[in-house]
Amino acid sequence: MRDILCIKITMQERSPTSGFFRVLTFGAALLLCATGAHAAGAPIPHGTLELITENPWIEKRWIAAGQEFDVGLYFQLEKGWHIYWVNPGDSGEPPRVDWHLPAGLTAGAIEWPTPRRLEDSSSIVDYGYEGAVLLIVPMHADPRLATERATEIEADLKLLVCSHDMCIPGRAQLSLTLPIGAHASAPRSRYAGLFADTRKSFPRPPPTAWKFSVAEAKDSFVLTVNLGQTKGLQITQAVFFPLAESQTENAAAQKFAPVASGFQMTLRKSDQLQKPIARLKGVLVLSGWDQAYLIDVPVSRPRAASRSGIKIHSA
Amino acid sequence: MKRSTLYSMVVALALCAMPPLVSAAKVGEAAPDFTGTASNGKTFHLADYRGKYVVLEWHNNGCPYVRKQYNSGNMQRLQKQWTGQGVVWFTVLSSAPGKQGYLNAGEENDYMAKEQAAPTAALLDPSGNIGHLYDAKTSPHMFVINPQGVVIYDGAIDDKPTTELSDVPGATNYVSLALEQAMAGKSVAVATTRPYGCSVKYSDSAH
Repeated sequence: MRDILCIKITMQERSPTSGFFRVLTFGAALLLCATGAHAAGAPIPHGTLELITENPWIEKRWIAAGQEFDVGLYFQLEKGWHIYWVNPGDSGEPPRVDWHLPAGLTAGAIEWPTPRRLEDSSSIVDYGYEGAVLLIVPMHADPRLATERATEIEADLKLLVCSHDMCIPGRAQLSLTLPIGAHASAPRSRYAGLFADTRKSFPRPPPTAWKFSVAEAKDSFVLTVNLGQTKGLQITQAVFFPLAESQTENAAAQKFAPVASGFQMTLRKSDQLQKPIARLKGVLVLSGWDQAYLIDVPVSRPRAASRSGIKIHSA
Repeated sequence: MKRSTLYSMVVALALCAMPPLVSAAKVGEAAPDFTGTASNGKTFHLADYRGKYVVLEWHNNGCPYVRKQYNSGNMQRLQKQWTGQGVVWFTVLSSAPGKQGYLNAGEENDYMAKEQAAPTAALLDPSGNIGHLYDAKTSPHMFVINPQGVVIYDGAIDDKPTTELSDVPGATNYVSLALEQAMAGKSVAVATTRPYGCSVKYSDSAH
């Protein structure tokens, strides 16, 4: 049953050699399938992409109705090249996936790991990933799923791969055969550790003892984080990644200042911000604290704040 | 009154201390003046075009978002349509030598002939000076300047931020919308949007 794990790959790219390359790649993928290996990756500009599982059926032995399991889009990029986060920042766009699934399977949204700040120039800052990154997609199986045979899932991917010097569009068609029902002997995927590590790095909700507030000033949002009595916490720097485009100026320095029981960040408003925002959502990465947090904070405007008498209490 | 004087002083001080990117073009403010050398060898001063609408189009011929506009013929169509109505259209190339979208004068002239592009001129800006003056972030990134020399549009070419040619016909073109509304004496309804595309491939040493 090893070949059930093989990943069949075809590839489309707008290059003159793509026809030949596609045949070559497809042939290589078939060869790998035949020998039971499954390390074939679809070529994308300056990298490879694989559709992988962590063998969710290891526990239950099969994918059953009502089960949730994860698949992953595993990007490996050459040095100097990047892809983009859900909010790409000043330029670029995130990979977009179009799933073709059998009846009874539903794909959830991509779970985005914490991105990096990519400084393209002094005035252009993007958010994305360099090197290797796994984008995990949760799948849900419902009772309509035919459980007596293996099932194939397909993903059509469109993406933009860039370096400081150039951007190249990529397209990949990926498929993966999932054992359904009685394929009990599936070996453990070599990717199990990768999934576990990626999940560990996901931004998570902050500790409930931490208090957040955002005050809107003329040209900026001031994010105040009160860490309460959290012990052993020495925050000397923080980076905020806004989930929505056009709220904060990506290329502006994020001013960090320690305050009693925590710190403050001044985030310059984007010139593209046309309407007041009700909430500031994003990922906050703290130095010296190996964790990223997903925050969602209501924005208070100066007048509203003084009228309603909001105060920030130190815990 | 006192407060506003104090405020002006604070702003003036802040402006002095700010890095150049903050002084970039802004909707509602005077368009920063520049002098540019075009691929046809001529020199163009923005200030000479007071009294006319001016469109600035940031360009990188290798960028898929730019190719979407040129391969579909949309950019050329816009250039012909608006220059035909007296609008001055500058295509600006701010890619540094060695980077995607950098073309010398001869290459740009060949490219324009091949694409049947019809801007007023293509300005060669390999130093990135004009690009930084406008804080051009992407290719394409579009600006519209009114006859008084004020920026009235800054942002994306349209409302479909993709590389798909099929998205061109159904898109709302923000440049045309701004020009139509301004020429009809109306205020521009959508004056600032997030430009989409490839980052402008500025020189690493510029700035």
